[in-house]
Amino acid sequence: MVRKLFLLTIAILALTLFVSGCRQKKQAKTDQEKAQGKKKIAVVISTLNNPWFVVLGNTAKERAEQLGYEVTIFDSQNDTAKESDHFDNIIAGGYVAILFNPTDADGSIANVRKSKEAGVPTFCIDREINSNEVAATQILSDNYTGCVELGQYFVKRMDEKGKYVELLGILGDNNTWNRSKGFHSVVDNYPELKMVSQQTAEFDRTKAMEVLESTLQAYPEIDAVFCGNDAMAMGAYQALVAAGKADKVMVFGFDGAKDVIDSIHDGKIVATGMQFPKRMARMAAEQADEYIKGRRDFPQKVPVAVELVTQENIAKYTAYGRQSEQ
Amino acid sequence: MKKVCKYAVAAAIIAFLVYHSIYFENLEDIKQQRRKGTFNAAEYAREFWDNQLFSVFDKAVDVEELIELFNTNMNEAVRKYGKAPGVSRVYSYLIKGNGKILTIAKDFLEVSIRETQTNPDIKITTGFYIPGNAVRDASGLIDVSEFSDTMKFNEISGEINKIVVKEVIRPFLEEKPQVGNTIRFLGATQVSQEATEAKEFQLIEVVPIRLRLE
Repeated sequence: MVRKLFLLTIAILALTLFVSGCRQKKQAKTDQEKAQGKKKIAVVISTLNNPWFVVLGNTAKERAEQLGYEVTIFDSQNDTAKESDHFDNIIAGGYVAILFNPTDADGSIANVRKSKEAGVPTFCIDREINSNEVAATQILSDNYTGCVELGQYFVKRMDEKGKYVELLGILGDNNTWNRSKGFHSVVDNYPELKMVSQQTAEFDRTKAMEVLESTLQAYPEIDAVFCGNDAMAMGAYQALVAAGKADKVMVFGFDGAKDVIDSIHDGKIVATGMQFPKRMARMAAEQADEYIKGRRDFPQKVPVAVELVTQENIAKYTAYGRQSEQ
Repeated sequence: MKKVCKYAVAAAIIAFLVYHSIYFENLEDIKQQRRKGTFNAAEYAREFWDNQLFSVFDKAVDVEELIELFNTNMNEAVRKYGKAPGVSRVYSYLIKGNGKILTIAKDFLEVSIRETQTNPDIKITTGFYIPGNAVRDASGLIDVSEFSDTMKFNEISGEINKIVVKEVIRPFLEEKPQVGNTIRFLGATQVSQEATEAKEFQLIEVVPIRLRLE
């Protein structure tokens, strides 16, 4: 019995030593790779199912590659568990920085913390996490102010009266509430503007179409739809076309995505808020490069202004930015 | 007996590993910590208005000088006097001046600041709803990075604007201003760097921080 117990203990100790030995070899290999080749930057995007985020990820990758890094894009598929797995792989894989589009403002904090503890700085892009202690910097769209401006335009186009529907984004994303609250901070001051329905379509085009189709059954006479992003605006527009109401109901989006910019050009969708994914992604890559070269004095939060795009000023804009920036 | 010992050792190892993998925290403690961390935007705005904002009054630029700079050298206006919390084409300015009321509209006064006093130069907001971040940002006193959640930063603007309506605009309107009256003001405005490129330069809109009839 004592012999068997002794052998069991030895087996456990041996297993422990083996595992830590493997980690050291991997670290040594990573150090060797670093010494010999390009440093690696990871780009972690909340979802690649939305073209806006594809542009965000690809621009970050492109800029980081221009700065001399090897870059890999990771898709979290809007799932904090997948996101966590990506962070584990990134930390183990010897990446020197993470350009990060969080899935959840609270749920993603732990991932950024573990990368910080592993010595890998994280640069948040577009969305924030609700902590100032763990990311190197957070480059954010000023969604609230953007939607204040959109709300003012909405009021003007609606002539201060009418019924509208609101489609919200992902409920765990701060951007959902920044946009909605910015919009309502203006619109709720006009008592003749009535919101008949407010539901989430999770920033998804197909869901938005389904939600609005269903909403139109209950509220067939509406004057406008405010959507928390452009993918939902396109879905809402599709639903209105199918219902024969596209020329009677105004649609407002938010993002500055290609299909909505084209739609505004064509006089269909009324307005959107131009976020600047390329600008934010480039900033994040450049700041990661500065960090790797020694800079540390980054402001924790950097809001990037959103600009109102309407049928009146559409000539200044193209997909994901201004004509002058392409 | 041997089997019992084996199982006992295995159980002890598993228990050891599980114990160090799971943390238990008192739910009430967590809730208390969160309550302590609850942000009150109205209190923050009050403290800012009562105890901090006046400290930058002497930095306000004369409105006539600022408009001249907008028309001749916008970049210089931004560099010398403009404030923005991040990356933006719109900058906020703390301004002061006096002028003559030319028009009284539902939500604003049109005021001329020039001696000729025939055309308006600025609009002073007098409505009961003020959008935007002019006062918050023009002061340069509130840093967005202070806040773990930028919604708190946004809420401050709303609360400051409520104070403006209640403590600046309403008392001013109760004095029943008339066309032709002279006013003195200190306030905040937000102007885009591209404002001078528009076909018609729009009157700058001023959110008043101090406003009185002379």
